[in-house]
Amino acid sequence: MTVQATENVSTSYSQPSDRRGGFYTAKRFGTPLLVIAALGGLLLFLYSRGEPDKIEAFALNWDYMLAKIDEHIRISLFSAIVVALIAIPMGIVISRSKSRIVSAVVLGLANVGQATPAVGVIILLALTFGIGWATAVAALVIYGLLPVLRNTITGIAQIDPNITEAARGMGMRPLQVLFKIELPLAVPVILAGFRTALVFSVGVATIATFINAGGLGEVIVVGLKLTRPAVLLTGAIVVSCIALLLDWLAGLAEDALRPKGV
Amino acid sequence: MANKTGATIELLNVSKVYPNQPEPAVENFTMTINPGELVMLVGPSGCGKTTTMKMINRIIEPSSGSIKIDGQDILTLDQNQLRRNIGYVIQQIGLFPHMTIAENVAVVPTLLGWSKDKIRARVAEMLELVELDPSVFSNRYPKQLSGGQQQRVGVARALSADPPVMLMDEPFGATDPITRERLQAEFQQLQANIGKTIVFVTHDFEEAIKLGDRIAVLSKRSKIEQFDTPANILANPASEYVASFIGEGAALKRLALMRVDSAVESGNATGPAISRDENLRVALDSVVLNAGRPVPVVGGGRVSIESISAALGIDVSRLGQ
Amino acid sequence: MGKYDLSLIWPFFLDKLDEIIELSTEHVLVVLISVLLATIFGVSLGLFAWDKPLLRSASIATAGVILTIPSMALLALMIPTFGLGWVPTLIALALYSLLPIVRNTVVGLREVPEAVMESARGMGMSPLRVLLSVQMPIAWPVILTGLRVATQLAIGIASIAAYVAGPGLGVYIFKGLSMLGAKNALNFALTGTVMIIIIALLFDALFILIKRLTTSRGIRG
Repeated sequence: MTVQATENVSTSYSQPSDRRGGFYTAKRFGTPLLVIAALGGLLLFLYSRGEPDKIEAFALNWDYMLAKIDEHIRISLFSAIVVALIAIPMGIVISRSKSRIVSAVVLGLANVGQATPAVGVIILLALTFGIGWATAVAALVIYGLLPVLRNTITGIAQIDPNITEAARGMGMRPLQVLFKIELPLAVPVILAGFRTALVFSVGVATIATFINAGGLGEVIVVGLKLTRPAVLLTGAIVVSCIALLLDWLAGLAEDALRPKGV
Repeated sequence: MANKTGATIELLNVSKVYPNQPEPAVENFTMTINPGELVMLVGPSGCGKTTTMKMINRIIEPSSGSIKIDGQDILTLDQNQLRRNIGYVIQQIGLFPHMTIAENVAVVPTLLGWSKDKIRARVAEMLELVELDPSVFSNRYPKQLSGGQQQRVGVARALSADPPVMLMDEPFGATDPITRERLQAEFQQLQANIGKTIVFVTHDFEEAIKLGDRIAVLSKRSKIEQFDTPANILANPASEYVASFIGEGAALKRLALMRVDSAVESGNATGPAISRDENLRVALDSVVLNAGRPVPVVGGGRVSIESISAALGIDVSRLGQ
Repeated sequence: MGKYDLSLIWPFFLDKLDEIIELSTEHVLVVLISVLLATIFGVSLGLFAWDKPLLRSASIATAGVILTIPSMALLALMIPTFGLGWVPTLIALALYSLLPIVRNTVVGLREVPEAVMESARGMGMSPLRVLLSVQMPIAWPVILTGLRVATQLAIGIASIAAYVAGPGLGVYIFKGLSMLGAKNALNFALTGTVMIIIIALLFDALFILIKRLTTSRGIRG
């Protein structure tokens, strides 16, 4: 089983970045430039409109925005870390298991999971366990689990069996084969899954506002409900910039952690 | 087992039966391999030769029978300890792509807990042994090397802990013919110096003749059809099967195994002189190029069609027609 | 879960069947239209850009940026210009669906082995001919996979559209939320979610069928 991203139905973008070549590629600078341009444009737009009205002023002030940004990043990162802590060991255990049925079942579940709408998951969880931060985290974790789990399994499965046979033939113990050979070689694929999970987290965290978990979704909702386009745009642009920046940072980490010879 | 060249390998009634398969892959395989000997297992694909070899380092566990290295039953040993004392080279090489060349070669010494200095010195020594300049290659990654260079690293990696036994599974099979010839020649040279006990699997009979001290020709279920020196197998194939495996031109192949020494006759000749250390195949080529007239041998004497025919016991003038 | 009575879901389902069918139809329609739009645009872009390195990476990167934007935010961004309802939903979904379609078109066309391309050219086929009768058929399964991924994405994201007065089963999910604590809240949310999963799985099966029927037997995996 090779990781052929293009044939991999279950995910839209869990493939290792293909940034090779030098450090100074357009992609490395493209995202920050885009973010700066978007935020700069937003600020220009807001200031050129003059004083916000009373309703707008509720949201369009630095204290409130920074608090929402902080909430949003916190919940996204926290869930992503929980996801990594659960999904990577789980993926390893599943790929150790001799039976192919187990990983087939997991991958099948992953596909159904992919088809489950995030907003459905989060609202069903809220109806069952109550609203609030913990429920939101649970939804984010459930949603982010699949890409990391799947990529851990495929990342290990795609390794050329000759390489692991050579390792065993040289007398490496199973754990040595895992830690010295398999995991380092699977890192790019696992990280790509983590990156997807991170982007999912930011997106699902936006929806988490429906169950009172705060974050920038709240800004969007305020803008919508009170029909203040400026507020709505601010929330949407800022949260998009966070998603882009986190994705970009994860991409950098991916490049830095990729084993050199690969 | 370290620091000793060569060990005896004894396989006794070794069989391998896979579940859900009616026939055993290997059936009652018995063979004794002497210290320092290079034994070639030759046979068509699917005959069980690779399975037989892989049971020696327990990549495949035998179903029955016993395998001893220097008298010690390998089934009683810890399989990882066992493997650290057996060099292992496979066709696909299996270099670790995320490790540098030096790190690849250092794997087994590291597993064995050698000191850093000793490992560093050993890696350099090994790379030099396979004619790769350590100052150039140590810090490169496998993907930066050609196929031939990668295969040399594979050999260096297998030899790094100085194992008494080496297992080689079609190590040169994936390289182009010219690279293969060079690797074979280098390997021959190498083995002359290191004298390991080597089990070498190939489907290429030419390669078996060129490299092997003894050749085991195998048929289905790893049945030994003949186990003898290359010269004896060429001269007296034990069965139709073996003969068909040798194919055409057995006599010419035998010539390649004989030294000029064995066919020198007295007398004078004109033309380019050839060395006594050359093989008779080269000598015959020289004679043919010399329009069939005898050619001189360095240090006195000459070789002719007649003297070569006498040494081989077959009239070589009728070969190749 | 004491507050909710799951045993009532079947009577609930039968009671609301007409509405459920209507919302499901809307959901399917909005997905079909937006994926169709994205396909027309995305495949054309891929066909045009696949052999132009700069344009190729620029279009894939742009589509990648769009996909990174949270769906809530993208929908919100549409509202000042397009208002509420179907139009912003269709545009947002089409934009989301672009990446898998463009990327897979480009990758599929580029994956055709050079030897095959060369022998096609060597037989005197024009570039357009090579594209249509050699590259497209070979790239087709990959492109189709892109459509499949795009459809799955659109089905899921369409559920959020209800929040901006868009169509589809999301309406039931949000109804459940707004009735938090009421007897039928879970029934609404659960019905909406499960129906979306069913639609997604049906589409997936449909794509597998289409792939089997339209892929040359010589390259079927």
